[in-house]
Amino acid sequence: MRVWDWLRSRIARVAVWRRRDRDADVQRELEAHLELESEEQRDSGVPPEEARYAARRAFGNRTRVQEDVREIWSANWLERFARDVQYAARSLRKSPGFATVAILTLALGIGANTAIFSAIDALMLRPLPFTAADQLVRIYSVQKGVFNTFANPDGPSALDVRDFARRSHSFQNLVAYDTWAKNVSFDESAGQPEQLDVGLVSAAYFEILGIRPIIGRLFSEDENQEGKNYVAAISAQLWRNRFDSDPSVLGRKVRINGEPYTVVAVMPDVIPAWVEPGRHSNIWTPFPYSPDMWAESGRGERGYAVLARLKPGVSLEQAQADLSVIAAALAAEHPVDEGVGVSVKRLADSRVGALRPMLYLLMGAVSLILLIACVNLANLLLARNSARQRELAVRAALGAGRGGLVRQLLAETLLLSLIGGAVGFACAEIGMRALARMHPENVPQLNSVGIDWRVLTFTLMVSLVTSLLFGLAPAFMGTRLNLVDALKQGGRSGTSGRSSQRVRSLLVITEMAMCLMLLVGASLLVRSIMRLESQDLGIRQDHLLRGRIYLPPVRYTNPGKRTRFCDDFATRVRALPGVIVATVTTVYPPNNGWTQMLVIPGHPATRIQEVPSAQFGVVDQHFLRTLGIPLIRGRDFAESDSATSPAVALISEEFKRRYFAAEDPIGRKVHIGPPQLPGIAVEENITDDVDVTIIGVIGDFKNAGLVRAPQPQVTVLYSQHPLVNGGFKDILIRTASDPYSVESEVRSQLRALDSDMPLAEVQTIDELVERSTGGQRFTTVLLASFAVAGLALAVVGIYGVVSFLVAQRKQELAVRMALGASYANVLWLVLKHGLKMAAIGAVLGLCGAWAAQKFTAGLLYGISPLDPLVFAGAPIFLLAVAAIACAIPGARVLQIDPAQALRQD
Amino acid sequence: MTAKKAPNRAELLQGTLDMLILRTLLFGPAHGHQIAKHIQRTTDDVLQVEHGSLYPALHRMERKGWIVAKWEIAKDRNREFKYYRLTLAGKKQLVREQSRWKQLAGAVATVLRPVRGD
Repeated sequence: MRVWDWLRSRIARVAVWRRRDRDADVQRELEAHLELESEEQRDSGVPPEEARYAARRAFGNRTRVQEDVREIWSANWLERFARDVQYAARSLRKSPGFATVAILTLALGIGANTAIFSAIDALMLRPLPFTAADQLVRIYSVQKGVFNTFANPDGPSALDVRDFARRSHSFQNLVAYDTWAKNVSFDESAGQPEQLDVGLVSAAYFEILGIRPIIGRLFSEDENQEGKNYVAAISAQLWRNRFDSDPSVLGRKVRINGEPYTVVAVMPDVIPAWVEPGRHSNIWTPFPYSPDMWAESGRGERGYAVLARLKPGVSLEQAQADLSVIAAALAAEHPVDEGVGVSVKRLADSRVGALRPMLYLLMGAVSLILLIACVNLANLLLARNSARQRELAVRAALGAGRGGLVRQLLAETLLLSLIGGAVGFACAEIGMRALARMHPENVPQLNSVGIDWRVLTFTLMVSLVTSLLFGLAPAFMGTRLNLVDALKQGGRSGTSGRSSQRVRSLLVITEMAMCLMLLVGASLLVRSIMRLESQDLGIRQDHLLRGRIYLPPVRYTNPGKRTRFCDDFATRVRALPGVIVATVTTVYPPNNGWTQMLVIPGHPATRIQEVPSAQFGVVDQHFLRTLGIPLIRGRDFAESDSATSPAVALISEEFKRRYFAAEDPIGRKVHIGPPQLPGIAVEENITDDVDVTIIGVIGDFKNAGLVRAPQPQVTVLYSQHPLVNGGFKDILIRTASDPYSVESEVRSQLRALDSDMPLAEVQTIDELVERSTGGQRFTTVLLASFAVAGLALAVVGIYGVVSFLVAQRKQELAVRMALGASYANVLWLVLKHGLKMAAIGAVLGLCGAWAAQKFTAGLLYGISPLDPLVFAGAPIFLLAVAAIACAIPGARVLQIDPAQALRQD
Repeated sequence: MTAKKAPNRAELLQGTLDMLILRTLLFGPAHGHQIAKHIQRTTDDVLQVEHGSLYPALHRMERKGWIVAKWEIAKDRNREFKYYRLTLAGKKQLVREQSRWKQLAGAVATVLRPVRGD
């Protein structure tokens, strides 16, 4: 803007100065000429007064000469352009309503599109920051028929990866890696211990990505062995924050899970978070392959992330075919691999994952907005120019050439587009910031998104072409018009022809249709997310704080120590003021628990697919009370249930329904652990190998994520199950008032027990639910705001057409009223036209929304993509809004004074 | 916008008027009035130079660089006039215009040769 102002003032100043100067010059020249002329007349005896008149007469039109001369000198294109722009600015200022709406329309279209497409570009399209990134692929295991493979791709096991590497011919290199949350403390910096996601990688991970350390060295092959793995690489970010970028960081010690690691490298911050399986890693250690990882029994332990670099010239399809053959062979050799396939995806394609369909939806929505904006712009320009037909005709009659008229309209259109573009740019800038602020946690890439200039140029071009198309058309049509006809036709009220009115109606109908599609999409998402967030988790959700701890095995060497620590911690927390009750647990909604195979009497299994299973969790005796889960029958865990007493379990109602449909489960025994089946090693599927007695049935709760219905649940005491009494535990605290009011006290209790142990991921259950729907809400909010924007544009469109109609038909309406038509009759005449457009648009929009259901279906929870409430409500809402938009100009009919209107023009 | 018409109307005359002006200036600098009078005198008042065409023509030629203008005090009076002078480009243009004119005049003369036997 400032540049433009500067340029404009510069041009204007030069032009004005030069013109004034030259005007004076010509004036003086002509004066001198006239002086001589009248002198001559005087010399020939004409009286002085008369002589001057005669001279002037002989000379002709002086002003005309001056203007001709001015024209000659100002034939400079820049000057002429500046003059056209000045004129255009004046003419836009004279119709501020039109200018404002047109500029806002443009700004909205350009701004929204620039923001969204810039984000999409950064998230999905931008080339990866790695050398020869198109050779980089990820390898997933896909379990046919068990998981939704696209939403939930799983990783292969270490043995699978080893066999892929040995048998395939498509890859230069291939690496399995993982990310683990670990307690990390830094000695000298004396900062708080922190739970960080530690990447477990070999040097090959960095080599495949083509990343060199800033200082230091990559891990050696040797360091991938257990016992020799106590070295760490840190990110440049961690280096800056914790070590002040001190080069002597190499050789310093970092304690990870209580064990010292030596820093050997600082890595640049180029690996995006989505490459890693967890959240963003700032610290990496070698992936020590323990000897038992290579035992055949570990073949079923899947879930490793796999990164590979294709050999030059090998296509994705060739690699996929290569690995598919190997996977089929492995499945034939090892029963545990039965039904497990493999999928190779480009690294670049793995970057948005579950967000992809939402981004496509947003892309569609924002394109609709651009379309609506263009249609609106076309409509506005058509209306304006047809109202100006008369002005144009008058100017043509006064001698303006077609070139001049076209140039004039061009200048107006360009000026409009440029201002719209500038405001749009500002909107995009604001929009990007808003996007980054409200982005869900799983899209950290959004922080680095900037305005994409190509997108801005593209959208600006689209709107420019639109405005040129509809802005200039009347110039050509107008100038071709017979002047007399135009003046005569325009003589009444500056009407446009019938055909242009039809075009405008069509445009409004299109707008209405697209707007309805947006409305339907947004309402569906809003209803879906409301369902998702308001559903009953099966617990008392409020005033519940949660935090995560990890008990590293070096310090907590046996299950007894872990039980003691957890019990101590929970006891101390329960004693805090403001805490009602607290529990240490591995399971709570809406998180996924882990699935445990079981042996249940009366449910024999001969194949792995038939083995009974349930969501499994280990808790302490305060679990039910803290979460507020109802006990339906039997008894709760008691303090008397200890490591030495018989093992007991609580099952959920769904568990009872599925496995004890007709019987009373209380007192029955269930075996926690897989049955003896050929091909299933006991070690596989983790874990426990013990019989438990069912002592109670509890209410169902959301134990498999927000979206899935509650699954069978079996809950046991960690004190009674040493094999599954692991290091990761969560503490859930029910508080009397604001949950966060107890946070610092809880932290200091933990510090008092173990100063090296961080309390991680502190949040309320409400927040946890909100966060798990973050992506959904993000899309919903955006789509809803697009729908509102689209609605605003459509309202402007229909308002414009109807008010134009009223102005144009004023006389006709006046005649009708003069002949006895009531106000209501006349008003209806006007409304009818607007409502007809809205209704046709709504019907078309419904068809469009129906056709688009397969795009929305995957994003909805608990409602059909053809939800009747939405499909009925959205058009009614649209029609109501349209009616109001029509009624405002319609009300002007009521102000018509027939006598006056008829006398006009 | 209104100026659009002037060049159209002047088109026919333009070449001729330009040539006459250039030719006048060949004898030395002159101001607008002198140029008009000179053309009138030398053509025995056959060609009346319209002022509405003269000044735009002068400015057009100045812009094209065929002539240059300067305010100077006239020798016979104590007054300033805007004197036009021929440039090198102007002289070249004059040569071009003259040869074109001769061609044209020759062609017209051929057409207008007296018809024998009348």
